[in-house]
Amino acid sequence: MLQPQASGSCDPTACLPPIKGFLETSFIDWPGKLCAILFVGGCNFRCPFCHNHPLVLAPEGMETIAFEEIMTRLAARKNWLAGVCISGGEPTLSPGLTTMIARLKAEGWAIKLDTNGSRPEVLAQLLADNLLDMVAMDVKTVLVQEKYERCTGSPVDLGAIRRSIDLLAQSGISHEFRMTIAPGLHTEEDVVAWTKQFDRSRSRLTLQNFNPKTTLNALFEKEQGFAPEIFSHLSALVA
Amino acid sequence: MGVVMPLNAETAQARTQRVVNEDSTDIALFVRSSQDDMTGWNRQRIVDALLRETFIDRGTAEKISRDIEVTIQAGKVKTITGPLIREMVNAKLLEMGLEEARRMHTRLGVPLYDVDQLLVQHNKENANVPHGPEATNLTLAEGIKKEYALLHVFTPDVADAHLSGDLHLHDLGFIDRPYCSGQSLEYIKKFGLNLPHALSMAKPAKHAEVLLAHMVKFAASLQSHFAGAIGWDAINLFYAPYLEELSDDGVKQLAQMMIYEFSQQAVARGGQAIFSDVNIYWEVPKHFVDVPAIGPGGVYTGKTYGEYEKQAQRFAWALFEVYKEGDAAGRPFFFPKPLVHITEKFFKTDGHMDFLHHICEVASVKGNTYFVFDRGDTAKISECCRLSFKLEASDIEDAKKPWKMRYSALQNVTINLPRLAFKAQGDDTKLFALLTEKLQLAAKAHGQKKKFIERLMSLGKGGPLSLLAMDLDGEPYLKLHKCSFLIGMVGLNELIRVHMGQELHDSDASIKFGLKVIAHMNIVCNKLAESMGMKFVLEQTPAESTAFRFAKLDLAHFTTDAEKVVQGNREKGEVYYSNSTLFNVGANMSPIARVEKEGLFHPLIEAGSITHIWLGEAQPDKEALASFVINVFKYTQNDQIAFSPEFTACLACGKTSRGLSETCPYCESKDVDGITRITGYFTKISSWNKGKLGELHDRYRNVDRFNQ
Repeated sequence: MLQPQASGSCDPTACLPPIKGFLETSFIDWPGKLCAILFVGGCNFRCPFCHNHPLVLAPEGMETIAFEEIMTRLAARKNWLAGVCISGGEPTLSPGLTTMIARLKAEGWAIKLDTNGSRPEVLAQLLADNLLDMVAMDVKTVLVQEKYERCTGSPVDLGAIRRSIDLLAQSGISHEFRMTIAPGLHTEEDVVAWTKQFDRSRSRLTLQNFNPKTTLNALFEKEQGFAPEIFSHLSALVA
Repeated sequence: MGVVMPLNAETAQARTQRVVNEDSTDIALFVRSSQDDMTGWNRQRIVDALLRETFIDRGTAEKISRDIEVTIQAGKVKTITGPLIREMVNAKLLEMGLEEARRMHTRLGVPLYDVDQLLVQHNKENANVPHGPEATNLTLAEGIKKEYALLHVFTPDVADAHLSGDLHLHDLGFIDRPYCSGQSLEYIKKFGLNLPHALSMAKPAKHAEVLLAHMVKFAASLQSHFAGAIGWDAINLFYAPYLEELSDDGVKQLAQMMIYEFSQQAVARGGQAIFSDVNIYWEVPKHFVDVPAIGPGGVYTGKTYGEYEKQAQRFAWALFEVYKEGDAAGRPFFFPKPLVHITEKFFKTDGHMDFLHHICEVASVKGNTYFVFDRGDTAKISECCRLSFKLEASDIEDAKKPWKMRYSALQNVTINLPRLAFKAQGDDTKLFALLTEKLQLAAKAHGQKKKFIERLMSLGKGGPLSLLAMDLDGEPYLKLHKCSFLIGMVGLNELIRVHMGQELHDSDASIKFGLKVIAHMNIVCNKLAESMGMKFVLEQTPAESTAFRFAKLDLAHFTTDAEKVVQGNREKGEVYYSNSTLFNVGANMSPIARVEKEGLFHPLIEAGSITHIWLGEAQPDKEALASFVINVFKYTQNDQIAFSPEFTACLACGKTSRGLSETCPYCESKDVDGITRITGYFTKISSWNKGKLGELHDRYRNVDRFNQ
């Protein structure tokens, strides 16, 4: 497994995750809610369809936004925003994640975490500390080593992924498992098999269509997403 | 107007008209006259025209006619046109220094080449005008009326200011009409369809469908008497007394009929859809609660409008169901634009959250919904791209007889703000002095338009504006004394950039200065209103083509200055100034910051403002949008917002997809048309002018996550 790249670049005052991006108002990242999003640099996966790849490949080259600045900007939006979504990259790789979330929580913010589930121990700790209000976990495909690694572009510990899935399913907090699908990587059978990995009465499932605009692997830019009818058909399978 | 006929069109009838007039030299010459005929040469006609149309003396007129005769003789031509003779006379007048006479004797018309281009090419000044014979008629007629207006209605200083781009007189081609009209359905409910010079007269409607037919026809006849938008107040409420007998399906059917009727009215004037707006309320507005309701047959139902809340809500709900479905190809309806008023009472009315989610879903899925915020005791009727009329005490009194409620703006004049900054060269005093000067000129232009419309209206029911003189309720339909006169602005952002070296979104200081500029405009308008006895109000000009026109003219005449601040792509000619007081459309601002900061300007702009939130491909949850809308009402001064998604309509497979794509995601055809909101309405991108295309490219769509 690749070493997390974010651990070296801590905030000097406290070891906080390197925040490389901030979107003050998102209408789409937290179902039903208006939220802000923080993007944490560094990732252990190399998904070819990734559209946040500067965060993955070269987070050092991106300016880190001071956490204090973000807290100030968020405070001014207290009336407007229902919460803060922490995305990436992969936030659970950063040692300071718990500290950062605790500080946001202390200010009264509800927290949504976006994760790839490769660090169940971090997830378990955050859940135990009652620091999360919603989690969206990317489950890239069915839990089959070869298939999964084609989607992540890097080695994966499927046991860890499985543990994260179970943790969330039993957590009692609002969560969703989502999969970005692309014609070169996923078939209808995969989608059907994927849904069977979850208890749909407990977990919300969603599909995202691959968007070829900017991708990590340049070869993938030539790929198309699923045609709209096919995508709606596949979405109906997980609904 | 003179008609140039093909040379072989000389008819036998024309030949027999060859007469040798004793009064003139015997020239074997045919003149193709303006009367669709051919006559022999008659020098006297030149004299007659000069004496009839100008103030020059007979001797001079005779001399000119003889000189022209000599010139024509020397040319040995066989056929000549009336218009050419007229231009020759004009050249002579010019040569003799008789400038005033030349102006009076001038001819309005269009070169052959231009007509040919026009008939074949698409005019994109207004994206709501399609290409077709009706549209070219409109353009030709507009062209001549525009020339007429600039020569004959406005004084040369006003006309020059327009032509040079210091300001823009909107809808000059509609010089003989007021600008726009907002009204109540009650007028036709009470009086039926009883229009002057109509071929038949209809009594007040007894059924909802008939009322709709009356409404559509009335809207079409209003469209042919106004330049722009036709708006309807509280449409769902005024239909309510007709809906009691209808099932839910029946109400939905009526909603569908209304929306299709207005969205397919591209068969009216100039092939142009009626720019129609429907104002919708979830609650019964306070000023209508105790008003006796008019029902089928134009008679009082014995109930007040307050008692029709449920029926009105049923209709409002159904209208948005239809908007949500879109047209047969799933595209958003372009018209009528639904303007939902969000008021204090809205939040106190049962079911408002469900309705808010419903209209937010439409905003997300199709984009139609306009959210109009009436805080405190404000009541208004909205139309056009953002125009609104605030109801005053006398209007609230009129509300007891809602058929009396009608509002019109007579004209709109927009000031080119960046140019003032070029001229002021950083000097505040000079900047405000120049601004005052332009506002005075705009007011003068309004006075001249008013005088002209008064002249037409004074001809009463026998005149060209008989519809507006119609007085079924004891007052002319157009209440001239109540009309407002709009003064708009383009490019506040670029003015600030020239004057302060930064744009509106760059600092609080630039916003503060921007507010000073608009506040100054407001104060000057009020002073001018007092001294001239006319109601001047500021409006955020939609400036669909003006933002492009000003930028182009400034690049041509203030090149060095303009090059630094004009927005868009200069290489492609896709240049523009930011509309009105809008911030740079491409500025990386969160939607919250945009509604908040742009909203700071809205209280200063009485006749209407809007903030656009460009959604791009994103399709937000209705709940997220609803919480946003509530917060805009609670925490900002913003007057109106709209969310604009983008669509790709495929002409090959007929399907509509989300986002702007070069090829259809369904069938991969390249024969696609983008659809999104241009300035205040949805339309096809292929019909946009270059300036707006530049803007479309720059629009910030809330996705740039790493630079905010």
